[in-house]
This record gives sequence, C-alpha cells and structure tokens, in this order.
Amino acid sequence: MNVEISELSRRFGRTQAVAGVDLRAGPGVFGLLGPNGAGKTSLLRMMATVLPPSSGTLRLLDRDPGSYGPRREIRRRLGYLPQNLGYYPGFTVAEFIEYFALLKDMPSRQVPRAVAASIEQLGLGGKARAKLRTLSGGMLRRVGIAQAIVNQPELLLLDEPTAGLDPEQRVAFRALLREFGERATVIVSTHLVEDVAAACSEVTLMDAGKIVFHGTPDELIAQGEGHGVGDAPLERGYSAVLAAARS
Amino acid sequence: MTATTLPVRSQPRAGRTAPAGLARLLRVELRRNTMPWVLPLIALVFWFDSYRIAATLPPLWNSRTFYVLGQGHSLIDFAPFVAGVAAWMGSRDGRRGLTDLVTTSARSRFAAQFATWAATAIWAVGGYLIFMTATFWALSRSIVWGGPPYWPVAVGAVGVAAFSAAGFAAGAYFPTRFTAPVAAFGGLLACGMSSQIGFQSYGGWGLILPTNSNNNYGQDAGIFYQFLPDLPVARVMFLAGVTVALVALLGVRATAGGLRLRHIATVVAAAGAALAVTAIALAFTARVTSYGTVIPALHDAANDRPIPYTPVCGQAAGVPVCVQPAYQAYLPDVTAALRPVLGQTDGLPGAPVRVGQVATVFFNATGRGPQTSVGQVSTLRGEPPVLSMPLNVFNLPGSFGANQTQFTDEIKLQAVHAIVTRGGPLGDPAQIAVEAALMQHAGIPLAAQPRQVLAPSPWALPSNEPHPGTTYPRQIAAAAQRFAALPAATRHAWLASHLPALRAGRVSLAQLP
Repeated sequence: MNVEISELSRRFGRTQAVAGVDLRAGPGVFGLLGPNGAGKTSLLRMMATVLPPSSGTLRLLDRDPGSYGPRREIRRRLGYLPQNLGYYPGFTVAEFIEYFALLKDMPSRQVPRAVAASIEQLGLGGKARAKLRTLSGGMLRRVGIAQAIVNQPELLLLDEPTAGLDPEQRVAFRALLREFGERATVIVSTHLVEDVAAACSEVTLMDAGKIVFHGTPDELIAQGEGHGVGDAPLERGYSAVLAAARS
Repeated sequence: MTATTLPVRSQPRAGRTAPAGLARLLRVELRRNTMPWVLPLIALVFWFDSYRIAATLPPLWNSRTFYVLGQGHSLIDFAPFVAGVAAWMGSRDGRRGLTDLVTTSARSRFAAQFATWAATAIWAVGGYLIFMTATFWALSRSIVWGGPPYWPVAVGAVGVAAFSAAGFAAGAYFPTRFTAPVAAFGGLLACGMSSQIGFQSYGGWGLILPTNSNNNYGQDAGIFYQFLPDLPVARVMFLAGVTVALVALLGVRATAGGLRLRHIATVVAAAGAALAVTAIALAFTARVTSYGTVIPALHDAANDRPIPYTPVCGQAAGVPVCVQPAYQAYLPDVTAALRPVLGQTDGLPGAPVRVGQVATVFFNATGRGPQTSVGQVSTLRGEPPVLSMPLNVFNLPGSFGANQTQFTDEIKLQAVHAIVTRGGPLGDPAQIAVEAALMQHAGIPLAAQPRQVLAPSPWALPSNEPHPGTTYPRQIAAAAQRFAALPAATRHAWLASHLPALRAGRVSLAQLP
C-alpha cells in the first residue's frame, strides 16, 4: 500500500479540518471529492508531508513521514500540485520544472531528460523557453502538473489539477492520470465529478473532515439512483451521499 | 498535452545530496537572480558617489582609495541595494505562494535557500569586485607609482556578502513584499551609523565598523610604508563571522531540514558569532602607530619595513630638491615654491643644503588620543642641514578643492617656518614677523598670509595657545612690514648675524630692524 492512513486528524485552532480519517490506497487513480471546507486540501497537505497530523497514523510509500530520513525518501518519490500554485515570473517553463526536479533531488544527469519528457507530456513543448509571466492561467496549471510528475512519482497528489484547463486539455490530462495510475498512486482532489468519472478507479467523498463514502465511481452512481439533485449520475450519487451524511 | 509512454522511473537515491545537483541548482538561481538587474543602478550610484570624486583627488593610491575604501563609500553605495535585493530573494517563496511546494522537496529547505542566497551573493560580490577592478584600472592611468591596497577591497567584498546575508535572512524570516524596502533602508541606516560612530571612534569596538574611516591607513601608506592589513583583517573576520552566522540561522529553523542539519547549523551560527566577537575583541587591542593601526595578534613585523624607492630630484636656487617618485608630478610645483624662499636664505647659518621628502605619519595630538589628523611640520635637521618636508600634509592640488596656489603657498610657509624656527610650534612674535617678511618676498602678500595660509595653522598648537586670527596682530604686522621694507642685502646680513638667536627665541619684536 502506498498510502495507509488510520484515525488521522488535523486541527487548526478550534477548527477540526480532518477528523479521524482512515484510508488505504495502492496503485490507481483516486478521486477525492467533497464540498468546500470538507478537509480535502488539509488531507492532501498531510499526505504531501507539508502538514504534520494532530493525531492518528500516516504511512506513505511504506514509510513514516514523522521522522526526517523517511520523510525525505518519501518526498523524493512524491509529486504534489498545491491548490494555489505560485510561480517565479522570471523563470522559463523549462527552468521552473528543472528547478523543482533538482529540489526533488533527482540525479543531476537525468534532469534534462526528465524535464523534456514532462514538458512533452503536458504539451508545453512550444512554450518551454517562455517566461512564466507570459503564460495564461491554464498554461501555468499545466506547468504545475509538469513539475509534479517530473520525477515520475510513485505517489502523485493533485489538488484541483484541472482548474483552468480547457476541455481538450482536460481529456488529455485524464489519459495521463490513467497511465500514471497503472503503477503509481494518484490522488486527485477536485470539485469536478466528470474528472472522477473519467479517470478514477476509486472515489472518496469527504464532508466536515470525515470520509462519508469510499468506493468505485459506479458504486457512487448507484448511491444516487432515485435521487433528484444533479445533472449527471455521479453528481446525483455525490448529492445523495452528502444528504445522507448530513441527515 | 499528450499521453505518451512514460519514461522508466529512475531509482530513487538514498543518502546524501549530490553536489552536482546543488551546482545545477545554483546555476538556475544565478541565471534568474534579481541582482544583475540592479547592478546597473548600483553602477550609476557608485560612479556618482565613489569614482567621480576619487578621480579628482591627487593621483596617489592612498588618497584616491581612501575615499572609496577607507571611508567606505564603495560599501555604502552597494549595501542598501544588496540588502534590499537579498531580502527580495529571501522572501521569494513566501511572496510567490510556493512555500508548500518547496517544503515538499526532498532536498532540504536550507540547501535550496542557500543556493538562492549564494547566487545573490555571487552576483553582488562579483559586481563589487568588477567595479573595484574597473575603478583601480581607471584611477591607475594617472598614478605613476605604487599599487592599491587590496585588504580594504576584501573588507568591502565581505561587507557586501554580509549585507546580502542580512537582507536574505530578513526576507526568509519575514516573507512579505515590505521586507525588501525595509532591508534596503536598514542597510543604508547601518552604513550611515557605521560612518557616524566612526567619526568619533579612534579606538575600541568602533574600529571594527567597515565604514569607520579613522586610522584605516596613513596618508603615505603604500608610498613610504606598507598598508598595514591588521585592521582590515579584523574587519574581514568580523564581517565573515556575521555572514556565516546569518546564513547558518536559515538552517536552524524547524523547516530547514533534518535534526542533524539543524544541529550543524546551530554550531556554525555559534562559530560565526564567535568569530565576529573575536574580531571585536581584537579591535579593543588595536593601537595606532605612526604608520597605521596595529593589532598585536594579527601584526606581521614584515609589514613594518619601509618601502624602498629611488628619489626623483630637481633644483631650487641651487639646492637639490628630492621627492618620492609617487610625488614626481608635484616636483615642479615644489621647486617653484621653494626657489624664492631658498633664494633669500642662501648662505645663512643653518640654511638647508638639500630638501627631501619625508613620510606623513599619524601623530598623537595632546589630549585627543591617536587619530588620523596629521600635524607634522617641515623640519630643518642635521649637519649639513636638510629641510625635510612631509608633502602629503599639505593640501595637494585636487584634494577636496585645494588648488595649486594653496599648495605652493603652504610649501613656502612650511619652508620659511622650518628655517626660522627649525620646525617648532607657531613661534614667538619676532619669529612670526620675520617669517611674514620672508613670505612676502616669496610672493605671498602680507595681507593675504594669515587668511590664506596661517588660518588655520597647519601645525599642531598646544591646546592653551590662542589660534591665529584672520590678521596678524598690529605690532607683528608693523614689524614684518618694517623688516620686509629693508633692502635684501640688509635683511640677509641681519639674518646672517641674528638667525641663531632668533631661532632660540632670544630676539624680541622691538629688536627687529
């Protein structure tokens, strides 16, 4: 298992962002759904080793991120795209990705090839030498994804990765996710249920810091049968599970 | 975006960070650093504040570099910009919303920040050294002898690194957009305070401040005697210690890296602080000698050896006049100034048979402690008598507004004073009156003498002695006019018979013919 979470909680002052979450994930693409403030980003940040948990246990890639050595090893094999990714405006696309490849401690000789590969995968070849300040929001998002996958991570955490992408890019991105999911654990936090339907083998629904559903997209769709809210079957399942959790 | 086949994943490495990766990171940081964009602005300020003024000063390495390095103008020109840009770079991740992403990197946060700081410091220090090299090259075109002092350049370079470290640490600890301007202002304030404290600090901890101009090096350092490196070495130690401590502070933070790295950073920060404190302690042991500041623990006796040279000579009224070759450009002025003086004293008892230049040295003024002011006067010593003149005591043409007339007038005054008093303090009324008459015949009108030459006096006065006024006292002026009005032969004959008594202070004003 690449991700093993047990009774994981995180508190910010009086706010309980994540409350006793249990989760296990091996290779595959996992969708993390939930309304605003459900705790998705906090859970993702804990998995990204940005935030230490308040309580509970967390094991990533068979290691305990609580101590520095294992945490560093996890980070070498981790890809992370934060929800609000900033950028260095003076860097070119290639330099930005190279910079993070180096921060991920990739072997120096492999960096140029890895950077070129991730640029190609995200369709950024024509913009490799463009300064980041000249790119559109969608392009910047793709640069963010490129830096996340440059080290071919075994655990890829993406927070709202398709925000700002056009439909064509989104389709291609889902294909990329599926390919990564064949050998790595990909966890995608999103509001867009169509991304989950198209790319995810499993889906987890969070509300108020807790997991209220975990299963396949088909199982989530089944939860929505007979439920009237939502245009798509997955949306109806999403609404039905949330309504049941809150009742 | 294309769903191409993924490349085979490289095996993750365990263990230590590869230096090659760090070097590559540094290369990226060097390429995209903000500092090179600011260097043209610094160049403009540097040209205006440092080079432009230094180039107008007398063509001697010590005079020109004292303004740029001794008074720390080059550092003052760099420090605010460097501190501001470094703070901008240090706060970059926080300002740009990249803290989360850089936190999840395998490489320690400290390593990444170190690369960013190092790139900033390399640009800043590199810029400083290039500016100084260009300055030396440009200044050297009109300097005929000797070489520049290099230790003060090292002080400036390490000072630039220290300001970059201070700015970067401020930016890293307080990553807001306001940190950079605050750091820049702080840099300016620090340099200003360093200079201000320096104006009053002739000893103690204040000597360690990099823009304290006191006692850095004597006015004839690098010409007659060596530039003493003792104080610059202590300053390099101080600034290097501060730099190391500030950079290591970045590694002390909980987010900097592993426990081992944080422990090492703590030890290194403490070592840097200890080095800085040691340098301050050394400054307390400093004492000012004739040739500069000596710190016993750092002093190399080899630096006390005088610099050998072959004098350059001319003639004034048949008397050989020799100067150190660095001053050869002034030899025509010196001989021209001495000619009317030596013409009047030729054949007098104890008149100089040769004029030579001596080194300008630090002196210890009564009640003020060692300081940089030079209070030497020309002296007439030896048998046969030699007139020894410390030329750099005078206002060399070009030094802060002085012109050729002021320079030659001072030479005349010093020569006359040395001949009449052998180089003592101001003199008694009879001596002053005779000097005034001789100067009048050397080309300085009586009415112009006190105003242009004697006020302020170029030699040290006992603290209880009244300072010369803007005009001679009435009785002295009358006696001087009376003596000057005598025929030259009569004046010469009187001096031939009375000069020893006049020098000994045994002639009163009323006894003057």
